[in-house]
Amino acid sequence: MGILTVLWEKWVEFRRDFYKITVAAMISPLMYLIIFGLGIRVTSHGQPYIQFLVPGLVAMCTMTGSFSAIAQNMSVQRLYEKALDQVMVSPTPLWQFILGQVIGGSLRGLYAACVILVLTIPVRRGLVFNGLSFLIMLLNGMVFATLALVLSFLAKTYSDAPRFNTYIIMPMSFLCNTFFSTEEMPDGFRQVIELIPLSQASGMIRSIANGEAPGYIGFAVLAAWLAVLGTISVIFIYRKKNL
Amino acid sequence: MIELRGLTKRFGSFTAVDGLSFEIKTGEFFGLLGPNGAGKTTTISMLSTVLLPSSGEIFIDGTKLTRAASEQKRKLAVITQEYSMRQDMTMDEVMEYQGRLYYMPRKKIKERSDELLEFAGLQDYHRRTVRHLSGGMKRKLMICRALLIEPEILLLDEPTAGMDALSRRQMWNLLKQVNDRDMMILLTTHYIEEAEALCDRVAMINRGKLQKLDAPKALIKELGEFTVDETGETDLKSAHFASREDAIRYLEGTAEGSVLRQTTLEDVFIDVAGRKLQ
Repeated sequence: MGILTVLWEKWVEFRRDFYKITVAAMISPLMYLIIFGLGIRVTSHGQPYIQFLVPGLVAMCTMTGSFSAIAQNMSVQRLYEKALDQVMVSPTPLWQFILGQVIGGSLRGLYAACVILVLTIPVRRGLVFNGLSFLIMLLNGMVFATLALVLSFLAKTYSDAPRFNTYIIMPMSFLCNTFFSTEEMPDGFRQVIELIPLSQASGMIRSIANGEAPGYIGFAVLAAWLAVLGTISVIFIYRKKNL
Repeated sequence: MIELRGLTKRFGSFTAVDGLSFEIKTGEFFGLLGPNGAGKTTTISMLSTVLLPSSGEIFIDGTKLTRAASEQKRKLAVITQEYSMRQDMTMDEVMEYQGRLYYMPRKKIKERSDELLEFAGLQDYHRRTVRHLSGGMKRKLMICRALLIEPEILLLDEPTAGMDALSRRQMWNLLKQVNDRDMMILLTTHYIEEAEALCDRVAMINRGKLQKLDAPKALIKELGEFTVDETGETDLKSAHFASREDAIRYLEGTAEGSVLRQTTLEDVFIDVAGRKLQ
């Protein structure tokens, strides 16, 4: 029930900001597609680079869409509007509030990915996106929505949210199997990068897109991140002394 | 009934609330008074579970209040000092969100919301976003939001701050009406006359510690029901007396311009706050 309340709140937000959300989801992936797909026409990883790029961009959009849907919003609600107080004092169980945020954030990520899938219809050839791809997108979105929650509970000012983007999301966007394969990275660094959820999500979505079976270890990595971050966010909302 | 047992809140080395212990009875209108920084808002924040105590406990009807205590929280509504609402929601959405958080049926949310917004004179603006409301309208909306859920306990943190005299008086009447329906009210305020007019009992706190707790009349009686104000060259001094005769005798020995009057709760407040400042 509490989960539905949060999803309703997210829906109200989405309905009101539909155009802003849609345009924001399109801009940066569209730039990458134009620059790397159409501007610099290269072959990479044994195929036209755009074929390699699209699955990575889709995974990246689930990350940025989910993260930004929660991080900015929750920081403002907690620190500036104080609207989180309304939730804290209500009888809605706080774990349901967290779960609602995670699902709502993930759906926003999925929406951003769908926008990219529609935009790339004219340029992608033979890439497969099936139910499993969408499940991975949803899971990846859940991981990053939960990360956004944890960071927004740690934020001291509402201007911290854009900093999280710069320090965490932007490096991941470039390093985690999005623009180039982690296989080309030096040992040591590669293993670390492969533990990051986006690397796994990109890898799995790309494998499915190319008609291959995804490495199922990726599911375990994403599930582990979700479990750890979910536990931290629940501990924060129940135990953090000064929310 | 609300019971505070040794409630303490520290922020680093600063103690905002220091071992508060008192009870508020069902249906009571209770005032929490204190100068700026006394710990009133921190106490309300602990009652609404936004802040957790460093030590001590809060009980509602005998059960410990925690963030997981949904049954206890169902009884509570809070009107905070700040406009704690989504600024991008319309009035209708703010009310619906509140109703949903308290598991109210949608039909009841709509009916009660219309009724309250009408009562507060906000119905014509129900589709306006919070961001575009005046301060007074936001304050009224917060009251409507709190009353939507028909709480048993209403926590009010300076609800009339920034209101004009007429709006404040309307608010007093409203609070009296809801209190008459057996709703417990805990009010923090800077306006001492507000507490004197409304509260059955008041607690005065200073630097987080409880200084006085009693009915306004009892506190006034304890200080002395008659006050002589002496206007000096640089300051105003007040002396308090239990009997009019004593006050008159004192007045005769003071400079011209001194006045005799009834002691108010504000005198008690100044006595408590001033004593600590000296």
